[in-house]
Amino acid sequence: MSKYAMVIDMNRCIVCHSCEVACRSHYDVPVPHYRNWVHDLPPQGVYPDIKKTAYIGLCNHCDDSPCTEACPSGATYKREDGIVVIDEQLCIGCGLCIEACPYGARYLNPEIEKVDKCDFCVERVEDGSQPVCVETCIGHARIFGDLDDPNSEVSKLVGEGAIPLISEQVNVGPNIYYKDDRDVFPVVEAAFPPREPRMPTPQSWWSKFFIPAFKLAVAGTFLGQAAAFAVQLYKGESEVKE
Amino acid sequence: MGVKLSEVQEDIKLDHYLLKKPRKLTIEQKRILAHRVMKKHGVAAITLHWVNAICWLILIPTGAALISANYLQFVPNWFINMMTDIFGTRGAMLHFHIMIGVFWLSTLLVYGIFGFKNYLLKFIRDDLVFYKEDIQWFITKLSCLIGRIEPHECPPQGPYNAGQKAYAVVVAFSTVILIVTGPIMAFHLLSAEFIRWAMLLHFIATMSIVAGLFVHIYMAAIFPEERPAFFSMITGKVNELYAYLHHYKWWVDVKMKEHAFLREEYMKDGLTFDEAEQLKEL
Repeated sequence: MSKYAMVIDMNRCIVCHSCEVACRSHYDVPVPHYRNWVHDLPPQGVYPDIKKTAYIGLCNHCDDSPCTEACPSGATYKREDGIVVIDEQLCIGCGLCIEACPYGARYLNPEIEKVDKCDFCVERVEDGSQPVCVETCIGHARIFGDLDDPNSEVSKLVGEGAIPLISEQVNVGPNIYYKDDRDVFPVVEAAFPPREPRMPTPQSWWSKFFIPAFKLAVAGTFLGQAAAFAVQLYKGESEVKE
Repeated sequence: MGVKLSEVQEDIKLDHYLLKKPRKLTIEQKRILAHRVMKKHGVAAITLHWVNAICWLILIPTGAALISANYLQFVPNWFINMMTDIFGTRGAMLHFHIMIGVFWLSTLLVYGIFGFKNYLLKFIRDDLVFYKEDIQWFITKLSCLIGRIEPHECPPQGPYNAGQKAYAVVVAFSTVILIVTGPIMAFHLLSAEFIRWAMLLHFIATMSIVAGLFVHIYMAAIFPEERPAFFSMITGKVNELYAYLHHYKWWVDVKMKEHAFLREEYMKDGLTFDEAEQLKEL
């Protein structure tokens, strides 16, 4: 089995936004939403010791994906190859997965009124080619591959110390790794820390109170009438019609 | 009209129109009443009931299987897998749920609009409005819950007893919630925040109905004393003994109307009011 992942080489990215544009044009992503983004960060430090970088982000296809756990109907789910996808036919656009995602990788597409996000260009990957952002990157800053294959480039880079964007509080096993030789990644970590998954009030009430309450109520009425039926069976029907 | 004079005379013999409570009947009176029928439901009520029932039989399992998140799931995994396998994809199952739901609500709307005067208002009057005897009914029933109670120890009831009315209120209220929340979710009519609340309300409304559904089905189809009510949902008619014992207020109401009708008919034939009254009471 494969486990797809991506490594972003912070040294090779020149912040040209080509990946973002390629993705937007390929999937008709409406402004101001992104499937795949490059957020410029201001220069850090004092001349001449200045560092400049950007947050290059996309869906992390996490191992413990909070989004797939939040989805009520299973419209978004993790495939066996590790890619988290959305079943557009099943999605009703309730946005629970958007609230759950620590990386803000999901958005509600106002045109189709369904949730959309990066799916590693799953159709292209199935055909054996690379995601569009990887293909379009002029600096070879994005490397896509299979972590289960020890000879793949991503496996080697992760082995050499590429790290995911996690914090002490939030670690849901993301599969986007950042290769950083210039010590700029702490800037990204400070500017865009992953946030805790959120559960909106109605769903919280629903799971904590209403599910148990109604299991009890339905079981109660069912057992009540079952008991009444048992009594009726025991007594038997009267031979004579009243 | 099919009201025969001889039949009316039987009613006179029973002679408790103005009594507050039904009298204990002799075996002969019971026999006469048991062999007569009176109309309980019109064809509109019968068709709507069974269309509604079939829609619910489809909507409950598909809807239950749609909720598959661990923290919200309330049916076992094998059931969700079975339903998904029947439809092939979960998307197809959602689509089917929406299609049947739209059919269900358009049926209700057609009946509600075209039958507003004759059916909806009647339903509200007969089923949703509570009177003093309904409260008394609850008190009597609750106090006699353990022992078996004689029907005529309860205060006389209209066409629906207080228990049926209570469930009707739950069903009517929940139906309105379902009609509003269903399309909001299915067609994304409001923002995501509203859809989340709609999901919760859709669940609560459905479960309120489902919790009472077991009792509804048991009472109508299996419980011996109410069995005439089940057949009335097919034929539209109940026997008068059942009506007399269980829905005395309604039985009196219908009989009074029949008599008023007969008197009118006699007066149309040229009799004076007094003569008609006399003839009616022969």
